[in-house]
Amino acid sequence: MRPDLLRFAHWLARDRALAEDIVQESLLRAWRSRDTLKDQGAARAWLLTIVRREHARLYERKRLELVSLDEALESQTAAKMADPDGDLFTLRNAIMRLPIEYREPLLLQVLGGFSTEEIARELALSTTAVLTRLFRARNKLRTFCGMAPAPDVVASEAAP
Amino acid sequence: MSCEQARLTIGADPEGSAPELERHLQECESCRQFRAEMRTLEAHIRRALERPPESARTARFTWRPLALAASVLLAMVAVLAVWVLRPSDTLAREVVAHVQEEPESWLARQNVDAQSIDEALRGAGVKLDITSDRISYAQSCWFRDHYVPHLVVQTAQGPATVLILRNQHVRTRRSFHEGGMSGVIVPAPQGSIAVLTRGGADTAAVAAQMQQDVRWLPDAS
Repeated sequence: MRPDLLRFAHWLARDRALAEDIVQESLLRAWRSRDTLKDQGAARAWLLTIVRREHARLYERKRLELVSLDEALESQTAAKMADPDGDLFTLRNAIMRLPIEYREPLLLQVLGGFSTEEIARELALSTTAVLTRLFRARNKLRTFCGMAPAPDVVASEAAP
Repeated sequence: MSCEQARLTIGADPEGSAPELERHLQECESCRQFRAEMRTLEAHIRRALERPPESARTARFTWRPLALAASVLLAMVAVLAVWVLRPSDTLAREVVAHVQEEPESWLARQNVDAQSIDEALRGAGVKLDITSDRISYAQSCWFRDHYVPHLVVQTAQGPATVLILRNQHVRTRRSFHEGGMSGVIVPAPQGSIAVLTRGGADTAAVAAQMQQDVRWLPDAS
């Protein structure tokens, strides 16, 4: 379980040492509030949400700097796409550089297995907003797999 | 369902198969194509996220059987010789292997901006007193259990790769030729600096410049 949490935290924080801190603090919080976990089968999702919130708290506390994906997208060349490993390396870099508002729901969905509705609840967003963010996250990544970006969707992002 | 709604739904969850979406796809070739592309992308994303960022690239060569065989041989060498020779030789080899795993770094020609350089330096406990007009590549790479700045500096003789290796100490300057690259690892106040080239860049000059330009922060973890 801990490697899963660490991987999730690492992709969120983009820093190994920070991820270690986040997971350690999250496990402490989880231990203190273990009585609130009613369903043992939901432990993984419960821990992942604690990690996400701990990262959000740390982010607010330290005002961690974010990286704009747009510049990274523009700087990538088609030559990198020729090699399969280069593809993966470039895509991993692109995911790292996704703005947090896109990276976070994508990680919750792909690594956490959360549904759109669950992500909306966790992030205090409308389902439509989550759909839009997930669409835009993947649309930004299309370029890094040799695909043209799709036209943007017009769904509005509104808090519930 | 409109094409725009279909694409939003597909983009948000490429593996989804809601009945309304499936009905739309039966009649819309372009949206079917879009879903096929997004499912391909999704497979790539899942593969990309299988490992934590960066760490997998160095793990490939760290534990390969050859290294184990080498360690057995080294155990047979006199203890003093092992301590004197092994760290630097291994370091040079790993530096070369790391650079070989990022071939795209040599291709970059556009200068990176100061923010990208700061991002590459973050977590490594160093600052760089240099303008960005010579640096065409800047990444923070996972190397020997630490994040290290990986830079490519453009020189008049061609590009030179620089790895700023906090925590990797060498006693003396060491030149090497391996994997089609030549380079040098020089000692620094709190680690070392590796400079490599595939062409004619003057690695000694770049290393000397870096020894001046890199500031080692005292309180880095």
